[in-house]
Formats: sequence, C-alpha cells, structure tokens
Amino acid sequence: MSDRICVGAIAGSYGVKGEVRLKSFCADPEAIADFDPLFSEDGTQRYSVTLTHVVKNGFSAKINGVSNKEQAEKLRGIRLFADRDQLPELPDDEFYHADLIGLTVLDTGGNVLGRVKNVQNYGAGDLLEIEGSVLENTVLLPFTKEIVPTVDLAGGRIIADPPEGIYPE
Amino acid sequence: MSRSVWKGPFVDSYVLKKAEKSRESGRSEVIKIWSRRSTILPQFVGLTFGVYNGHKHIPVNVSEDMIGQKFGEYSPTRTYYGHAADKKAKRK
Repeated sequence: MSDRICVGAIAGSYGVKGEVRLKSFCADPEAIADFDPLFSEDGTQRYSVTLTHVVKNGFSAKINGVSNKEQAEKLRGIRLFADRDQLPELPDDEFYHADLIGLTVLDTGGNVLGRVKNVQNYGAGDLLEIEGSVLENTVLLPFTKEIVPTVDLAGGRIIADPPEGIYPE
Repeated sequence: MSRSVWKGPFVDSYVLKKAEKSRESGRSEVIKIWSRRSTILPQFVGLTFGVYNGHKHIPVNVSEDMIGQKFGEYSPTRTYYGHAADKKAKRK
C-alpha cells in the first residue's frame, strides 16, 4: 500500500493575483480541497489549497505562500499528493483503487496469476486489470464475490477463482 | 429514427444459441461474442459475456438495468487510464 496518492496537478497560473489552475483527479473533483496538506512528488514541499472558482477543465485555487503570477507559473506541472491516511474508512467490500493496484493475484491453488495493474469500470461493474509475466496481454477480471472471494490488503494479495474463458488457454 | 417495434429487438442468432447453451450447462464461464450490435435481452441476465472490442474480450456481467442496451456499449474500443486518486471499487 503506497503512503501517498496523487490527487491532482497544477496546470499553470490563473489570472494575475497568484492563483493557479488546478486539475483534480478525485471522484468528486471538489474533494481535492479536503486534503490538507498536499505534498509534491518527492514530499519536500507542502501546499495548502483553497478553491476559488470553477474554470474550464478544473478549478482556480489559492495556494499558501503564492502571491503573484510569477510564483504561480513556477508551480506548473507539479503533481499533488495526499497522505493515504486522510482518505475516509470504507465499508466492507469497498476498496480504494489505490489500495488494489499492485496486489498479487493468486488462484485458489496458490499459483500466482499476476498483479493488479489497474481497476476499470466500463458500466458493467468493476474490473481488475491483471498483468503477468506469462501473459501476453493484460486480463480483465470481474470484481465480484464469486470470482474474487478474498481481498487481503494487509497480506498484499487477492485470491481469485477466474471463470473459464478469462485466461488464455 | 428509432427501430420499429413490430420487428422486436435485434440479436445475432449465435449469441442466443451460445447463451442458451451456457445456461443449460450451468458452468461459470465467459461467453465470448463478437456481436457488439446485439441487444441485451432479459434471458441474458446473470450471464457473463466477453464482448470483443477489436483487441480483446471485455467481461460484461449482465444485470437487469442493462436490458435493452447493446453489448458494445459496455466494451469501449479506446483505452483511457485516469488516476486512481480516491476512486472506489465495490465488490458485488
């Protein structure tokens, strides 16, 4: 489980008063303001963000310590990270994508099937995208109790019972 | 203009046959189909189809609220990887 997750990025300056154009990657875009503080990728810089307006493709925001356009322009391209601990607890059978990505996938016999690369949803339920050294392409596994009976976040593994036809012969 | 009601929903015949065969066998399997244009019918509810997107078969677990849509709607042909951030997945 990674300690910090990427929740947004600074796309450039906005206006002449030191505001920045902020892109949010959160499920609810405005939730990016709830994470305080935010960090740069290497963790050396801390930012406190206050949203001011909704603009095209994001928000305009004030960042503490940034008071003019030049300072704001210097922040362009910085990705913003939040501590994983700031995310609220979820009920049973709900998981953050960030927690699932990277888990090892085992079959019911204990054989390694691969690793979770991504979590997708195309409208028919969540799908785990699994990559493995023996797989030519990634495999999509429906995230259901029947097919994925065990999710062990502490152990870093998922037990799966894939139906016929999911994995190539 | 929408499709005439008297014609009924369009489904490729091989999809119907494969679905019927899978239901009779009772096994947990993914029914591989290439027919993105077929309509999802009530008898498909509970089955899992692998709908081809030109590259691979995307698993589509059919539920009641999908009836009347086309299979292709659940199997996008272009890939977009967003950011995980605080997005959640629910195990059904």
